[in-house]
Amino acid sequence: MGTDMAGSTRTEREAAAWLARRDASGWTGRDQARLDAWLGESTAHRVAWVRLEAAWRESGRLRALGAGLPAGDIPARGQWTRPGPPADVASGPAPPAARAGSSGVAARGPFDAGALVFAPRPREAASRMPAFAAAAVVVVLAASLALGLRFYPAAQPVAYRTAVGDLESMPLADGTQATLSSDSRIVVSLSRRERHVDLQRGEAFFHAAKDPGRPFVVAAAGHRAVAVGTRFAVRRESDGVRVVVTEGLVRLESDPGPDGRRQPTTLLPAGSVALASDRGVVVRTDSVAQAEQLLSWRDGFLAFHDTPLAVAVAEFNRYNARKIVIGDPSVAAMRIGGNFRWSNTEAFVRLLEQGFAVRAERRGDEVVLHDR
Amino acid sequence: MDDSLDAWFAREILVHEGALVAFLQRAWPQRAEVHDLRQETYVRVYEAAGKARPAAPRAFLFATARHLVTDRLRRGRVVSIETVGDLDALNVLMDEMTPERRLDARQVLRRLAGAFDRLPDRCREVVWLRRVEDLPQKEVAARLGISEKTVEKQVAKGVRLIAEHFYGNGTARRAEPARAAEAEDGNGHGRQHPD
Repeated sequence: MGTDMAGSTRTEREAAAWLARRDASGWTGRDQARLDAWLGESTAHRVAWVRLEAAWRESGRLRALGAGLPAGDIPARGQWTRPGPPADVASGPAPPAARAGSSGVAARGPFDAGALVFAPRPREAASRMPAFAAAAVVVVLAASLALGLRFYPAAQPVAYRTAVGDLESMPLADGTQATLSSDSRIVVSLSRRERHVDLQRGEAFFHAAKDPGRPFVVAAAGHRAVAVGTRFAVRRESDGVRVVVTEGLVRLESDPGPDGRRQPTTLLPAGSVALASDRGVVVRTDSVAQAEQLLSWRDGFLAFHDTPLAVAVAEFNRYNARKIVIGDPSVAAMRIGGNFRWSNTEAFVRLLEQGFAVRAERRGDEVVLHDR
Repeated sequence: MDDSLDAWFAREILVHEGALVAFLQRAWPQRAEVHDLRQETYVRVYEAAGKARPAAPRAFLFATARHLVTDRLRRGRVVSIETVGDLDALNVLMDEMTPERRLDARQVLRRLAGAFDRLPDRCREVVWLRRVEDLPQKEVAARLGISEKTVEKQVAKGVRLIAEHFYGNGTARRAEPARAAEAEDGNGHGRQHPD
């Protein structure tokens, strides 16, 4: 199979020329036939083509880098490899006040009306709210309405909230499907530049509608999960947020740490489970099926696999007003597995009583688990 | 998972290009010929895999490269005891040269970003508008005020350089971006040192 020495480079150039022509407009069936003929001439042509075509296809993933950047702005070199969200560099005009501190929402770009209103004290704000029985409540901010209509035509922040034990699925105006877990609250602001969701409480799953020009950003506790079009869930933990990605790619950014140091940006492919806190970001990459398990709450289930009982109980308590309390440390460390319907605390407790050395003491709004 | 031969080849073979090129550069004294040896290796692997997919693709790739180099040495185009000696040592070293086996999506993106950043300015602009902002070539041309033909040329150039850096991880032809094979390398003997 003797190709001469200059041959391989020439072949590669020809393959690249074919690819660039196919990438242009006006590619016809006849062009394809000619390409096929060229590919059939030799295996050398074929491998050169396969290699370049694969590289070109991979390069489509660069789109993830463009999420959140204004169209037409080609970012400077070198910002991908160093820590820090690229948008910091590229979207210069963002008001510096909006990103000060770890308020939980870092507003980017020109639009942050909703964020400014809701951001500073999410917990107090939530507790002052009357306890709505209804699952989803639309809050219209009268004050910002008049201004909003004028300056932010597409951007009226809308709040959704679920009570303990409720689960609510709702379409957002951009076509995204959002599923709100028990005792959760989001504020959604759609602008021309960005789709911004402030996760103020609990957990939410998003099947974000594809819109390369308008990144989908979920902010919580000083972290931001940025997606172009993908399936992922974000939830608040006691000391940070958890992000689970089941499809596509999400970019996770964080506010500067307590020492003022910039946090690196993390890219999360499907199957990732990321835990972000002040101390940094820990990522576990599982199979997508394993990641999906963490989201089985959407179907009414909690899935455990060799899970410490303390963790499982905390999960249950997210969904139920009647809380399970661990009475003995030895009970906390027991490991359990299986799928449980989260709405049925009683069945779960009875299973524990049958299968483990656990005694349940039922008193009022609590079930206390003791060592038997 | 796409199980066609082409997809298999990209997934199981091309990902080792960095290690393959490093191997060839050390095993073959004429640096300018490495590009051709790489292609020849790919041709042999692709043809063999068309008949039966090797169970251990990476090992098969390197065995193929080694045979190819040995064949060429035997054919007397280059006679160098030193080189042959190196070759034996390389059998052992092969696995150490690229410890990573398969890239996860994050590493893929990092590597792509690195490849992208190494494109010349004009080429980089074209690739960004075409691939990230997804503008058709025609609109890229209008945006940059250049002809469509130029855009097409830049795309062709861009894809070659991206492949080189993405698959080769920048191991190959660091110093000579385009005219590698034409230039007869005068001082290509012995070990290659990174420039």
